[in-house]
Amino acid sequence: MNRITALQPGTSVRGNYLIPPDIADFQQSLVGEAVGQLAAWAAMAAVDFKCRPVAGIAGLIELLAPVRPGQTLELSAELESVDIEAVSYRGEASANGIPLIRLQNCVGPMMPVEEFDDPQLLREHFAVLCGNGSATGGFGGIPPLAFTRNGGEPGKSARATLQVSASAPFFADHFPRRPVFPGTLLMNLNLQLAAALAAEIPGRWKLRTVSDLKLRSFIPPGEQLELEAKLGARTENSVIVIVETRKEKKLVGSARVSFALGGNS
Amino acid sequence: MSNENITKEEITAIFPKVAEIMADALGCDVEKVKLNSSLISDLGAESIDFLDIIFRLERTFKVKIPRGKIIEAARGELSESAFEQGGLVSDAGVARLKTFLNEVPADRFKTPLKSAEIPKLFTVETFCKMVIRQQRATAAAGGAKPA
Repeated sequence: MNRITALQPGTSVRGNYLIPPDIADFQQSLVGEAVGQLAAWAAMAAVDFKCRPVAGIAGLIELLAPVRPGQTLELSAELESVDIEAVSYRGEASANGIPLIRLQNCVGPMMPVEEFDDPQLLREHFAVLCGNGSATGGFGGIPPLAFTRNGGEPGKSARATLQVSASAPFFADHFPRRPVFPGTLLMNLNLQLAAALAAEIPGRWKLRTVSDLKLRSFIPPGEQLELEAKLGARTENSVIVIVETRKEKKLVGSARVSFALGGNS
Repeated sequence: MSNENITKEEITAIFPKVAEIMADALGCDVEKVKLNSSLISDLGAESIDFLDIIFRLERTFKVKIPRGKIIEAARGELSESAFEQGGLVSDAGVARLKTFLNEVPADRFKTPLKSAEIPKLFTVETFCKMVIRQQRATAAAGGAKPA
């Protein structure tokens, strides 16, 4: 997030973000993260930075067009409700007027901000975002994260193990007072595993939507996670993959990923 | 408190939709969702699922459900200190809960009852009643009539 360009307190917010042109890749899940961050700023401001939303539920994420470094994301979010318990919102990102991603029925549980951040520093950063904006180019891309495939049945299921780093740079920001593995990174890995499974099914499958995404618990540094992608349903033109992440058998995240036949990218 | 006047017919009318919502939110078969199922003990719901279910109910039934207010509503006219002390629900508080949550079998009310364990009592019917209460409130406020 570089700048908040319009804010209707507790109702709607607009902003923009310049994707650094010199990074190798900018995944669509990061565009979703940018929309979520915009909504989070608006939600925190609505409750005077007493609480902050954390990743929770995304009812539907539509991936509409590819994104590339150097583009400026135009972000918007409508807060459907916000209080100290939860924020509910929908949002969109576009570039040059072309919609890239659309989020609906998103819910973020609100947590006491002091557990995660210094409220005063957040207020100051918010003032900068609402003023001249923050400096561009601070993001260097997603650090290399890789899971290890360890089983499954080709075209039907895929399993993998992820060893979360004990000390990655992103923990400094996420969050300063309580390091948590970002849900966006976890979902990105889940999407990779889902895509790997889809690639085992004849056809050229393109990621279209992520629905019923739910993150159930915080993942601290150093955890070992088990990822699984299972074929949910298949038609001539579509494939649904269910992705689940577990920590010692406990479900920590899940989503339904849909792929459609065709596409150029 | 209006829940004593909620009829079985009203509950039966919305139960199929509520069950569908619960099944979607919890990722289980709709057949598993019974009116008397405990959300936590029988259906494995966690706090994030409660939030999910409430927002889905709000969107589907076009009502506003006051989050975190079920216990406050159950408490009624009892003061907070009369309802619970030191994390335990008082005898008067348990009596209030038994009236408010009259759909919950009596043997599920443990003694002593910890306040934090109250959500374990909630059944699918608890949520049906919550929707009906809010539909009535919306109608009384001049909004849409209950379906």
